[in-house]
Amino acid sequence: MRTYKMLEVDLKSGEFKTSDITPLFEKYLGGTGVATALFGEVPPENDPYSPSAPIFFVIGPFSGVYPVATKTIAVFKSPLTGNLGESHAGGRLAMAIQGTGFHVLKIVGKAPVLSYLVINEDSVVIKRANSLKGMSALATERVLRDREDAGFKRSMIRIGPAGERLSPIAGVTVDSSRHFGRLGLGGVMGSKNLKAVVISGGKYWSISNPAQFNTFYKKIYESVVKSPAMKKYHDLGTSMNVLPLSQINGLPTRNFSQGFFESGKEISGEKFAEKHLCQQIACAHCQVGCIHVASLREAFDPTEHMYKTFKVSYDHELIYALGSNLSIQSTEEILRLLLLVEKQGWDAISIGVTLAWAIDAFKAGFIGTKETNGLVLNFGDAAVCEKMLHHTADGKTEFFSDLEKGADFCSAKYGGKEFAIAFGKNEAAGYMTGLYAFLGYATGVRHSHLDAAGYSIDQGNLTKPQSDEDSTKALYKESVWRMILNSLTICLFARNIYTKEVILEGLDALEIPGWTEDKLLTTAKRIHALKHLCKQKCGFKLDQIPFPDRLTKVFTSAGKVSEDRFRQQINFFQQLVDDDIKTLL
Amino acid sequence: MPKLLRVVNREQCIGCFSCMYSCSRVWFKAITPEKAALRVRIYHGIEGAFSIRPCYGCFDPDCANACPTQALMPRKGGGVQLAADKCVHCEKCINACVPKALQWDRELGVPIPCRHCGICVQFCPNNVLEMSEVPQNEGGASENV
Repeated sequence: MRTYKMLEVDLKSGEFKTSDITPLFEKYLGGTGVATALFGEVPPENDPYSPSAPIFFVIGPFSGVYPVATKTIAVFKSPLTGNLGESHAGGRLAMAIQGTGFHVLKIVGKAPVLSYLVINEDSVVIKRANSLKGMSALATERVLRDREDAGFKRSMIRIGPAGERLSPIAGVTVDSSRHFGRLGLGGVMGSKNLKAVVISGGKYWSISNPAQFNTFYKKIYESVVKSPAMKKYHDLGTSMNVLPLSQINGLPTRNFSQGFFESGKEISGEKFAEKHLCQQIACAHCQVGCIHVASLREAFDPTEHMYKTFKVSYDHELIYALGSNLSIQSTEEILRLLLLVEKQGWDAISIGVTLAWAIDAFKAGFIGTKETNGLVLNFGDAAVCEKMLHHTADGKTEFFSDLEKGADFCSAKYGGKEFAIAFGKNEAAGYMTGLYAFLGYATGVRHSHLDAAGYSIDQGNLTKPQSDEDSTKALYKESVWRMILNSLTICLFARNIYTKEVILEGLDALEIPGWTEDKLLTTAKRIHALKHLCKQKCGFKLDQIPFPDRLTKVFTSAGKVSEDRFRQQINFFQQLVDDDIKTLL
Repeated sequence: MPKLLRVVNREQCIGCFSCMYSCSRVWFKAITPEKAALRVRIYHGIEGAFSIRPCYGCFDPDCANACPTQALMPRKGGGVQLAADKCVHCEKCINACVPKALQWDRELGVPIPCRHCGICVQFCPNNVLEMSEVPQNEGGASENV
């Protein structure tokens, strides 16, 4: 029998305790299911930044066990949305947590001074770290990797200055280039005076049925390295979407005012690969290697041939958020902005969308040069965007300090709600393919494009149209099924490899009994319903979710989207969820 | 001619640790990278700078030379083999291996000699590793460490 333990650390007292929470894993599998069940026990009125607000990092039974089960699920109360905060990250974190012998890390309390936490198997130490105050997310990794080496493979998560400033759009950087980007986990860590967590350990699960286990492993391995379904992720990566999306009017451009970017070719995945791609790297225990690393070489003193080179990872979302959506037309300019975002530790999508809102707000007269400290904001002006990021980091004016609170906050304060492109207060991702991209953001439990891939439904409808009701059912079905993938912490890039049958075979090979297809599907629905219930208890009302007016005017891949049609399908989705809440919880 | 594990395309490593997981899985029935007889080392703060340290199959191994009890002995064909019952857990062997290629089993307190079985080669997605025929008495590091 597999057992699962939770480590709970109180940053204020420095005390920690462990507990066996195997029953929760038997009921909810792990990952997002277990994390949501634990979050459900937290009083919904809790302030996201109160010391008692917990952060849960949860892995699952497949973590570190099978290829591409690389994610760690972080759950917390989001300071951005005020309800369920959830973000997933890869890197080496799931491997390292598995090495500690725990499947859940729960962090509560607030350290008296800026500190970092070192978890090494059963040892937990909180260390003062005032010398790290204001240090970039990138430098913090360099410093702590020098400082903390327990001899095992490690993982390190940390916040940049944005998290220390309690920005609700601050993320948490994992190892070299992965992130808990969305929904403000960086701000929550900042509120706990927690700069970083270093994790390592050598504990492991044994295999008692090697013939069965190794046969199954080999099958998955072969699928991962040979399947065409995975090829695209290490080939051009998700940035392969940039050009095709632009060609079908689905690439958000100039703050979602059009879906075609006239310079799409200049910032395409192909262009990045040709000019900057220096290598692909991988999360621990994923043989795909989807992390695309760009290098940029620049002369800093051309008269003496003095050069500097930096490396930064990129993907579709970053190219959209700091490229097409700001009308920035060169790969070099995008990479420079990305480096600043990485150092500060903002969520790249949120800060990019908020900058786009600011430019529109300036053009519409909601803000002027008084707010911008003299800057004239225009789409396509990368130099000004760079200054905006610096001013935001420096808190140059109240307006710039506000920018790192997100587009919804800014539009409520300064105006321009109609072009603040956020759903449930979370800035939208880089797909403008039609109604189902938008519904996906709206109905998604974390308002992410990854909740149900609505953009995929839009694109399917272009060639094989189906009714709105059927499309919404498909969206709901996919949202529900992903609960299982996210509970097993399987990277969604491998969703076509880990089918129901494969998952059941994998559980069996790992000697985790009792799972059937029916039980998987019921569990998926239960977790999905539980998440929506948690959101409701925190005050979220799906049927009242704002739909930015701009999105009713723009021509998407699937044409124009009326608010009525959006509302109808929101209500239908709500019914489907309400039925689950009634019958399963 | 005997075959030894060799790093042939270091620059193609993506840092997935699949090699380490396979070694632990097959030889120790353990789901962890930590039981592996080789290491993929990461240089902090440098995106994607990996160095792979497998046993180099030395014919006059520094590790065996440092062993006070002859628990670690040269292996026919290159490398070393362990008689665990003779090991006094002094760690002199791992300290003698300059590239830190010989790993230490912290659970059992013994070194983890590489069998040069090639299982890690089978699970490397990018042909970083290879089992190469190495002429007798020419063990030692290849240039692609």
